[in-house]
Amino acid sequence: MIVTRKHLPRRTFLKGVGAAVALPMLDAMTPALSAAPKAPVRWAVLYVPNGVVNIDWWRPKGTGKNFEFSRLLKPLEPLREDILVLSGLDDHNGNALGDGPGDHGRAGASFLSGVHCKKTSGADIQAGISADQVGAQALAAQTRFGSLELGCEDSRTVGNCDSGYSCAYTNSISWRTPTTPNPPEVNPRMAFERLFGTADLSLSPEVRARRAGYRKSILDLVREDTKKLTGNLGASDRRKMDEYLFAVREIETRIEKAEKDQSAFTPNIEKPAGIPIHFSEYVSLMCDIQLLAFQADLTRISTLMFAREGSMRVYPEIGINDPHHPLTHHRNNADWIEKVAQINTYHVDLVAKYLKKLKETKDGDGSLLDHSMILYGASICDGNKHNHEDLPIILAGRGANGQDADLQPGRHLVFPKGTPMTNLYLSLLDRMGVRAEKIGDSTGRVGQLTVA
Amino acid sequence: MNYMKRKNSWRLLIVLLPLLWFVVSPATQQAQKPGGFEKSIQPFLAENCYACHNAKRASGELNLELYKTAAAIAEHREQWETVLLKLKTGEMPPKGFPRPDENQLKAVIGWIEAEFARMDRAVKPDPGRVTARRLNRAEYNNTVRDLLGVDFNPADDFPQDDSGYGFDNIGDVLSLSPVLMEKYLTAAEKIARTAVFGTEQVKPTLARFRPENRRVVPSPKPLTEYDETGLSLPNSLHVTHHFPVASEYNFRLFLNGNRPSASEPLSLAVWIDGQLVKTMSFDPEYLASFEADRQALGGQVAEIRAQAPAGEHLVSATLQKLYEGLPPRYNGPNPSKRTPPPAPEFKPRADLPPERVAAAKKRFEEARAVSQNIPANDARVSSLEIGGPYNQAKGPAAESLKKVFVCGQPGTKITPDCERKIVASLARRAYRRPVTPEEIGKLTGLIAMAQRQGDSFEEGLVQAIQAMLVSPHFLFRIEQDRKTASTDGYYQLNSYELASRLSYFLWSSMPDDELFQLAGQDALRKPEVLSAQVQRMLKNDKAKALVENFGGQWLELRKLEAVKPDRQKFAEFDEYLNRSMRQETELFFAAIVREDRSILDFIDGNYSFLNERLAKFYKIPGVSGPEFRKVTLAPETQRGGILTQASVLTVSSYSTRTSPVLRGKWILENVLNAPPPAPPPGVPTLDDAKIGTAASLRQQLEQHRTNPTCAACHSRMDPLGFGLENFNAIGAWRTKDGNFPVDSAGVLPDGRTFSGPNELKAIVKADSLAFAECLTEKLMTYALGRGLERYDKPTVKRIAKQVAAKDYRFSTLALEIAGSLPFQNRRGERAQ
Repeated sequence: MIVTRKHLPRRTFLKGVGAAVALPMLDAMTPALSAAPKAPVRWAVLYVPNGVVNIDWWRPKGTGKNFEFSRLLKPLEPLREDILVLSGLDDHNGNALGDGPGDHGRAGASFLSGVHCKKTSGADIQAGISADQVGAQALAAQTRFGSLELGCEDSRTVGNCDSGYSCAYTNSISWRTPTTPNPPEVNPRMAFERLFGTADLSLSPEVRARRAGYRKSILDLVREDTKKLTGNLGASDRRKMDEYLFAVREIETRIEKAEKDQSAFTPNIEKPAGIPIHFSEYVSLMCDIQLLAFQADLTRISTLMFAREGSMRVYPEIGINDPHHPLTHHRNNADWIEKVAQINTYHVDLVAKYLKKLKETKDGDGSLLDHSMILYGASICDGNKHNHEDLPIILAGRGANGQDADLQPGRHLVFPKGTPMTNLYLSLLDRMGVRAEKIGDSTGRVGQLTVA
Repeated sequence: MNYMKRKNSWRLLIVLLPLLWFVVSPATQQAQKPGGFEKSIQPFLAENCYACHNAKRASGELNLELYKTAAAIAEHREQWETVLLKLKTGEMPPKGFPRPDENQLKAVIGWIEAEFARMDRAVKPDPGRVTARRLNRAEYNNTVRDLLGVDFNPADDFPQDDSGYGFDNIGDVLSLSPVLMEKYLTAAEKIARTAVFGTEQVKPTLARFRPENRRVVPSPKPLTEYDETGLSLPNSLHVTHHFPVASEYNFRLFLNGNRPSASEPLSLAVWIDGQLVKTMSFDPEYLASFEADRQALGGQVAEIRAQAPAGEHLVSATLQKLYEGLPPRYNGPNPSKRTPPPAPEFKPRADLPPERVAAAKKRFEEARAVSQNIPANDARVSSLEIGGPYNQAKGPAAESLKKVFVCGQPGTKITPDCERKIVASLARRAYRRPVTPEEIGKLTGLIAMAQRQGDSFEEGLVQAIQAMLVSPHFLFRIEQDRKTASTDGYYQLNSYELASRLSYFLWSSMPDDELFQLAGQDALRKPEVLSAQVQRMLKNDKAKALVENFGGQWLELRKLEAVKPDRQKFAEFDEYLNRSMRQETELFFAAIVREDRSILDFIDGNYSFLNERLAKFYKIPGVSGPEFRKVTLAPETQRGGILTQASVLTVSSYSTRTSPVLRGKWILENVLNAPPPAPPPGVPTLDDAKIGTAASLRQQLEQHRTNPTCAACHSRMDPLGFGLENFNAIGAWRTKDGNFPVDSAGVLPDGRTFSGPNELKAIVKADSLAFAECLTEKLMTYALGRGLERYDKPTVKRIAKQVAAKDYRFSTLALEIAGSLPFQNRRGERAQ
């Protein structure tokens, strides 16, 4: 519903000392950042809830280079040479494994962690550290933000989210620790301000520097106070204070990084006003923000949840007024099946638009897509059956890092039955220079990604 | 009940088992009558239950043969709570099996209940332990408002608070991520500057909104009975907008559609949250197109300047009195007094060849015909631009000055003594407890640091306030451990901690001066003082936080923010109706709190609060205008109580249709305190299955219930939901559902029958004590900020009985909770 919000001063400037350089999406000017010796590899995970309507409508006919686009993947056809369709990957820990119903509850938390989360709706949530966070923690020193979590559905929900599973599991696919989810930012304005700052640029550099100094003193003060306080607290309260101290330390590190960072980046989109009503505008705005964060190298890892797992979103803009999740339990009703198929295709279409933008954005010696690994998919295969095997997964981009062979898109790969998703994550992290031993239920790495 | 939700959760049971054993084992050594279980219970089970619940079949994962002694019941309390419930409701033995002898059944129920009661009595009193609670968004906003007189709702920008046990103020669940910390820092600076220097000067921005596909159904004739405010007409526009500061804004209304020539000026209006802000007369006559002979509104823009409050608000741009001022030939109310312009004549240019003259004439006549037949309601607001802020006020608000400068004045010399006073007073209120000289010293140290670098005292003060606002003492409600706990393993909270618990319970905010004072005198715990304070607080305006935050979650009203009923099926559902629904229930709840009414009013109070929009929606005559007012409801209106309010009916429906299952579940969970367990593995959610065949919803559900696995719970859920089937998915009354007449009759598992909402309410009310227990549990969870445990059960039962004994007054409920063991005490860490 919101069309645009025009800032009367047309540009939002960032804090920083260097000259502000505009970076248009279509590269009218040479970006200052390409001065960086080598473009880094970025990894994005785009997550969709509720699986797909029928995996046979998703899975392409044929394997390798000679595959035919399926109905649900149709919008990606123009990007044939930029994507890998990956079949045969499992999120085994999304299954009940004796815990009864709650596939949606488990699916969100297990997707990136490969860990079977604890069935609880209360205090004692327990999942596993997610693959993106394994990367983010290893690469934390490289960029201002270790990772960026985005979402396109407000998680303001009441009570349990699925059959006795805490909403934390369905709201977040990114988990910093087994007990700390990284909830996604769902407001584009807030995401934008987080990346590009809210600093009052009418102030002189001296005043800003002085205030930055004050802020450090304030953080010192509260950190000391907290340490003193912790002595008088019981274990559970102490855990809360540890969380607090961790957050304070994170901010301090970020401030230090910002001080060292001499480059300035002017985003070339207007600061978003809020949450667009139309889903397509919403997703594309969030994609833009992710793209900007990658382009400016503010972070290299980002997750974007199109909706929460088990989402009840309706899609009136494509004529679907029934909520998504109940529709997926279609009982072979042709009308419902059709509607779910349309939602699936709609999502894929939005991904295609995003990939196109990434492809058109210059980055280093190629395009941003060349240096990215964009994973799109769900941790439920068939939304009606609730199975977590043979998930619908796409990997776009070449992940070029200048050392290893590039990913070879343009193919449909079928992995051996029972290959965990986490094996794929290990392989992707390798490309970012992050050697992790194991993530969740991983059993090794996946092959075929680079072999033409 | 939370502890009952965990049915079937064997894993949890195994975890709890050693603990339970420890707690109950002393009690189980002496059962009520030795051998009572073996003599009377086991034979009953053998006769009525073992057929399915045996070691081999273990239907519903329940093998009753396992239990051989009374002690075994104590060990598996969760399981036996379920057994008791199933027997009491009559769900078991299921339909089709012979009913047990009624006297025997009663005896068995009585025995199990007595056994539970005995176990509960034997449990050592335990107040539980609440983890340090981070302020949630609502609490943060209210606290900075009361602390510093800053009311721009800074926390609206914070990430969502996670919820547990149905509420978003649970200490264990509220986490603090680096992202949130970053926002705390940014907010602290903005708040401190606003308090000391006034609202930041915001650069004007422009936001444009265009409506979603609203349908104005053309009406050739004016209506005489309609919403004159225009708020509920599709010709108006509603948008949610975030105003960065309270200030003047420019509202540009883009008009579209046509009005007949010689109509009177339009009356445009801008509303914020349903309150009229400004009106403007807009006369399009001057632009009446001569050829077309009509007022063409397309592309016309009207500008209205008005004051708006900070934060997110619903802005409505409406056409008032839409059907007035039309030309007399429309026969509408209050017709136009303007003289109609002379009818346009067809005057072709002289040099036009005849065939083009004919074509031009045809066009002319077509345009004439359109002009002559302009619908009475064609004018509309097509989009809206909001620009601003303009003419922003400068300098701090009087309210902030009063709260910050307890001595001295901004801009004047502040003595060191006054400086300490200012800081001490702020810190004491921010930390909600007395502060140490050392703490004050550190904060004044920040002021000195700023002054050393050439900044003013006020700039320094801003730093000190920021430090307070990001301190864990402000962000968390911390209750410090005592070195020595009593022999019972728990200790009393100190008066300041109690004051905070009380104020966050009833106000979602910090204690006020009176509470601080009483805490300082250590008087808050005295029963008469506590009682007077609870009464005072409930009558205070701030108690509306209890309605918004507790009510919004208990009744699930917050879901209204996200519901999207199908526009095709429910065209009348719009943002304004949505807001009106929510407001009705909030006002209703607020009246029960403020007037200290019976909590049973929730079930069948014969009054509500309506505005014109909602009254029309409910088909209740005699309510005009956008203001809400109390309306007494006659039985034939079929309304009264939360179960018949559109808000609750909407949140317990799907976007396209009603669901008796969802509504039944809603009643069991939120009213009757008997939440159904999650469906067993492998069973699709019932409702998802049904649409698209020829059978009615009821027939399908009944068929589903022939399966005993499904029937076990659905025989209890579905009938309750059916009692509300006369209300559609947005709560409007109906007698037909599609092609099928609505049948709102229901049979409960125990054989009681009813039909329609009024009889359903009578059934629900028959179990008033269950409702009292339900509300007690919910409110206590909210008040404590933790999930309830087994050891809280006696407290809940006792409070519910007290409430029942005192005419179910709301204040009794609040006071009993505030005076209860878990509210006033805290378990020491070591006692675990």
